[in-house]
Order: sequence, then C-alpha cells, then structure tokens
Amino acid sequence: MKRTELIETFESALINPADQVRQWKTEQNSGAIGFLMSDVPEELIHAAGLFPYGIINGKAELEKADTHLQAWVCSHARNSLALALGGNLDFLDGLIVPQTCDTTRMLLDLWKHVRPLAYMEDFRLPRQVDRPSVGKYIIGELERIKYRLEQYIGRSIKPEDLKHSITLYNHNRKLMRRLVDLHAQNPVLISNRELYTIINAAMIMPREKVNELLVKIVSTLEDDLNATEVDKEHVRILLSGTLLEPMDILDYIEEFGGAVVGDDFQNGYRYIEADVATRGSLIEALADRQLNRIPSAAFDPAHNPRRFFLANLANEKKVQGAIFLHLKFCEPENFDSYDNLQAMQNAGIPAMRLETQFGRSGLGQLRTRVHAFMEMVGGENV
Amino acid sequence: MTAKNVFKTAALMKEIMARYNDAGKEAKKKGIPVAWVTAVFPVEIIYAAGLFPYYPENYGAVAAARKVADKLSTAAEARGYARDLCGYARCGIGDAYADEHPIGEILEPDLLFCCNTQCGSLPKWFEVAGRFYNAPYFLLDSPRVGLETDELCKGYFIEQLHEMIAFIENFTGNTFNYERLSEVLALSNEACRLWNEILDTAALKPAPFGFFDACFHMAPIVTLRGTQEAVDYYRALKEEIDERIENGITAIPEERYKIYFDHIPCWPKLRWFSDLFASRGALVVASQYTHSWAYSFNLERPLESLAESYTHEFVNRCFEYRVQRKINFMTKYGVDGFVFFSNRSCKPNAIGLYAKSKLIRERTGLPGTVFEADMSDLRFFSEAQVLAELEPFFEQLS
Ligand code: SF4
Ligand code: SF4
Repeated sequence: MKRTELIETFESALINPADQVRQWKTEQNSGAIGFLMSDVPEELIHAAGLFPYGIINGKAELEKADTHLQAWVCSHARNSLALALGGNLDFLDGLIVPQTCDTTRMLLDLWKHVRPLAYMEDFRLPRQVDRPSVGKYIIGELERIKYRLEQYIGRSIKPEDLKHSITLYNHNRKLMRRLVDLHAQNPVLISNRELYTIINAAMIMPREKVNELLVKIVSTLEDDLNATEVDKEHVRILLSGTLLEPMDILDYIEEFGGAVVGDDFQNGYRYIEADVATRGSLIEALADRQLNRIPSAAFDPAHNPRRFFLANLANEKKVQGAIFLHLKFCEPENFDSYDNLQAMQNAGIPAMRLETQFGRSGLGQLRTRVHAFMEMVGGENV
Repeated sequence: MTAKNVFKTAALMKEIMARYNDAGKEAKKKGIPVAWVTAVFPVEIIYAAGLFPYYPENYGAVAAARKVADKLSTAAEARGYARDLCGYARCGIGDAYADEHPIGEILEPDLLFCCNTQCGSLPKWFEVAGRFYNAPYFLLDSPRVGLETDELCKGYFIEQLHEMIAFIENFTGNTFNYERLSEVLALSNEACRLWNEILDTAALKPAPFGFFDACFHMAPIVTLRGTQEAVDYYRALKEEIDERIENGITAIPEERYKIYFDHIPCWPKLRWFSDLFASRGALVVASQYTHSWAYSFNLERPLESLAESYTHEFVNRCFEYRVQRKINFMTKYGVDGFVFFSNRSCKPNAIGLYAKSKLIRERTGLPGTVFEADMSDLRFFSEAQVLAELEPFFEQLS
C-alpha cells in the first residue's frame, strides 16, 4: 500500500465511524465500550476483550440533546449524547465517563436514564494529583473499574492479558509520537490534517490494525525524510485546548503557511504522550500514568502548571504563535484561560483565543481570524 | 413576607452578620489568618484551629441579592472569564479586578480551602484566587458517591483531613487541638439540630415558616456553624416560630398548597418569587438547598464523622439518590407540586433536572415544572419566560 492509501484508511474511518467497530464485533463476537474524553484507561477495556471506542467523532444533530442538556452545556457532552439519541452509537454495549468537570458529573447518570447500556461507569478521577493520599485512591478507583469490567464479562482479567494490552498501547503511542516528530521536523511529509486524522481515527479502530498501518506509514515517512527538502518557511504554531475541534482549523493554519508543531488536546498529544510501565503491579502502573500525565484544566494544582508547560513547549518547539481553541461552555478550560494567555504573553509568544463548538463553529470567521493571526506572526512569509 | 410578618430575629441576624463581617476585618488587623472556605466544607476544623473562616460564595450571594452581580462580573468578563461560569465565581473574580466595589470588597485570603463536594467550579475559582492573592491553597477532594456509602471515598477524605491538619499546623506553627474540635462539633450539631427543627415547621398546615424565610435566615448556619452565636441565633428563631404557631401567624396569608423547590433561589428576584407564590396561595416548604446543613457528628470519631457527612452530602450523589431524596422531601412535607430551577450558574445541580422532573412526575403523580434562569445574573432572567412556565403549573394546582 502506498502512503496515501494507508492514510486513507484512517480518513475513511472518521467518515464512517461505526464501520470498523461493527465489523470487529461481528468477527470477535464481543462488545464495545465507549468512553468520553479523556484519560480513560483503555488498556483495561482492551484487556477485557472489549473494543474501547472514543466518542468524539461523528457529527450529530445537536438538537437531539435539547430535551436533556440545556443549551449552555458544552458541545462535547451535547454532541455525544445527541449521537447516542440519534442511534449513531447503537453498537455500544457500555460507556465510561471520566469525571472532569461539573458537566460530566451528571452525564453518565443522565445517559443511563435515557439510553441505558449493559455496562456504565463513571471514572472518578481525583482532582488533586500531588499529595500522597491520592495514590491509594486512584489505585482503588482503577481496581473498581477493573472489577466492574470483570463482572460484566463474567471472568477475571488475566495479568498477562493486561500486560499485553499495555504493551500494545505503548507501542501505539510510540508510533504516533514518532509521527508527531516527523511532522514537526518536516511538515511537508505529513500534513496537519493527516497527523490528527490518524490520532483521532485510532480511537475508533482496532488497535492492532492501527499499529500495523502505523509501522508502514512511519517507515515510508522515514525514507521520505531524507529524500524530501524541508520547507523552512513554515510558521510554527502551538495549539492548545480541551479538544481539537473543528479539524478545519488545521487546514486553515496550513493554508496560511503554518504547521502545528505542538498541542495538548485530549484528542491530540495528551492522548499519546504517556506510557504505562509493564513491570510490577500493572494497576499501580496505570495509576502512575494517570498522575503523571501532562497538566490539564481538569486537575487542580493551585499554581496552574499547565501555563508553564505550554510556555515551555512553545519555547522547546520554537513556535512563532499559539492558538487556544476554547470549547465554549467548557468551564475548567475557561477558568484557566486568562492565566494561560498571560503566560504566553510573558514568554513573548503571540497568542490568540478562538471559541469553538462541536458542529457549530462559524468556519468562515475562524478562517478569517486564523489568516489575520498567521499574517501577524508569520510576517511576509504568509 | 408581608411587612407585619417580618421576624423579630431578622434584626438579630443583621446584627450577628455585621459582627461576623467586622470580625473578619479585625482578624486582618490582629493577624488572625483569614481562611477562605466553601459552603459545604468541614469548617469545624477551621474554627478549631483558630482561623477566621470566610465564605466567598456568601459574598456572591449578597452581590446577587443586591442586584450587582452583573456589574462585578463585567470585570471578570473583560479578562475572558465567560458569562456562563458560576455567578458566584464571577463576582469573586470580578471583585478582585474591579475598580468599584458596590457591596464592599471581598475579604482577602491568607490561605484558601476548598472542598469539591459541591461542584468543580469552586476549586477552579479558588485556584484562580490563590494565584491572584498569592496565598496557599488546599483542596479537599471528594469524588462523587453513588447510592450506597462509599468506603473508598470516605477513606480518601479522612487521609486528606490529616493532610489538611498538617497543612494548617505548618501554616500557624500550632499543634491542632482535638479537644477544641470536639467543642466545635458539638456546637455544629446543636445549630444543625435547631435549624432542621425550624425547617420542619414548614410541614405544619398552615405553616409559620417556609423556604423563602429559610433563605433569609440561613446565613448563620452556613457561616457560623460551629460557634455559640449560631446556636443562640437559631434558639431565638425557634422560640419566635413557636410563638407564631401559638398565635396563629402564618408564613403567607392564605396557604392553599405546599410546594417543593429546587435549588438555590434566584437571589435578585427573591421577593418577586416569594410574592408570586404567595399570591397563588402556594407556600414553598422545602428545598434540598436549605436542607443541606443537617449534620450530626459523632464526637467519639470526629474525622471519620466529618468525612462521612461532607463526602456523602446530596450534591455529591448520583442521579437516583437525588431523585429519591427529592421525593422523600415531597412526601415528608406533603407537597402538592414541585418547581425546579434550571440555574445556568450551577451546572452540577441543573444538569439532569429535566429528566429528574419527568421521572418524579411519573413516580409521584405530582405536577411539576422546570424554569430557566440564573441565580445571580439578571441578564439571564426574563419574567415573561419564567411566568410562561409557572402560570400553567399554578393552574394545574387548582
Ligand atoms: S465541559 Fe469541558 S471538561 Fe467538561 S465535558 Fe465539556 S469539554 Fe469536557
Ligand atoms: S456551581 Fe453551584 S455549587 Fe458551585 S459555587 Fe456555583 S452555585 Fe455553588
């Protein structure tokens, strides 16, 4: 398969998000567990012989959620519930909702009420991550999720199966991180859109298949790296936010001469950044990974380490500008937003904030604003 | 509340709240650390440690009641804090940046404590404040609890109480005094007991006291729980209510129906709502909000008991628990219908209300409705819209 064909497999997965999971279910005669963003331990679901399905893709008719979720609820929650109510998630046998905010707090219960599934759990993430007490708690919570999965499948999850799943996912993340590197080294090799298409499609494809394709893509790109001339004129951009939506933003940045070289999205770098140890207690290893993820607005260390993380990332990747994609009505993100923008300013990096919504972002306006920003940070190159 | 119906104790309350506010300013002068705390928080530990507890949510509620929440909010909005955030948080953050302080300035913290039993907005707000005022911050993390008691969450909370006590000791340089904690807990128990006895009188037919009265008289149970003042206050109020019962003075002139209401009142429209309900002969008798402070601590095992109470508070519970709790209130107070306030400021309480309302109508057969507004910001309030929901409901009652 050629590079384009390989990438097309991911593209078509995003266009028809139910195809692969349905096929897998028939072949394997097993179930699928959906999860919302982010930080859900997919490795446990996989080790239980189930298909972990990231609910992020697919355009829903948002009005379908109106009777249950008020207009001021974030569009990630509204979009996800609308997908379910519109019958677009009928292949799911279960759902895990991580507790990241006031919206997720009641979402699973509400979902249970309007669209009950056989297996439904909250992942009760701790909000503090830096005091000793959290260690025992997060292990206990992961044990609980594991136990509930075992009850659902009617057998226990074998340690060797969990180890196998963790290894598979680690390999997957490593391959995707390699793609991120290759893209940053030479954005001509693989475009913004292609890179994030792969990361997002991976969430709804069988992981084994994803890895198989990625090995081939990475090797083709590595060959090309030496052969292709690096386009030095790309304006290096950092993107930050809860969720990368709409994907069109990636095209606009590229259109005006930019390349996204760093991000912290839950459906971006946050998803692939942290690996899990395969030695010792595997539950402890999963807990460690959770506590050591890159900072996000959903956790509450007082000093907002995320702003420093972003400023460092910006320096490290030598970015020329930062764009915050602010998902409207996402409170955790909003509370940190001012400080994050200030931190960029202090670091001397031009930054702008764009408000977005699932399926409801005004694309024309976004494009105009990206254009203006790119002109400002890229000067004549744009 | 008609003029002749004003409680004598109202004057007493103004007095003790003024004293409390003065004590806050005094504390600053005397070098007693001012500790920001949240409404559902083991403040007993703060009192026992000799810190001065201050409630920024109360500041938000006062700003809302005085109809200036939108003004304070503007200063926060100018910095990118969205109008959709909790109104209390916007008032607090807004005040930090504002040039004008129509209700006086918020009391600056020397340290901040937050418990997220209530919501996820408080910790985010307090973090922002911690950075703004450059004061140390401690989060008591309370993951959500389902229908049953949850040992994992309780154990986690107890460990954090130990961490918090060490944090305070480290800040003050004093060893924490557990005997003093016992005294404070006993005072809390007594205030809670009296407060709930008072709330219970709303079940009488006709009742001397209702939800709108409770909103007016609740400040001490929130802020002074754990002190003798709160106990004295509720004793006086209880006596006054007993007198009213004897003299046949009722909360509204003609009580025809009893109503259950969720959750927080719409502060800038408190009077408008109370008049509206009264004009229809409908007395609002209960809300899980005013019933939040119903603790009974076991002095033999103080930390465990604090953990049980503050983690298992209804705001931190699952959908089904909250539905059952509402129905229990409806049964206990013998209500004829219910009104739910979908408060855009308070997502943890407003999300799911439509489904809950439908379910409760099915389970109880009672009429009920949901209206949209904001507890503090009049920019999100439309009389016509609220009436469009409430009028048909009142008709259903009759
Ligand atoms: S409000 Fe933010 S954190 Fe919460 S579900 Fe929506 S996008 Fe996620
Ligand atoms: S979100 Fe609700 S519970 Fe939290 S501070 Fe605001 S009003 Fe209170």
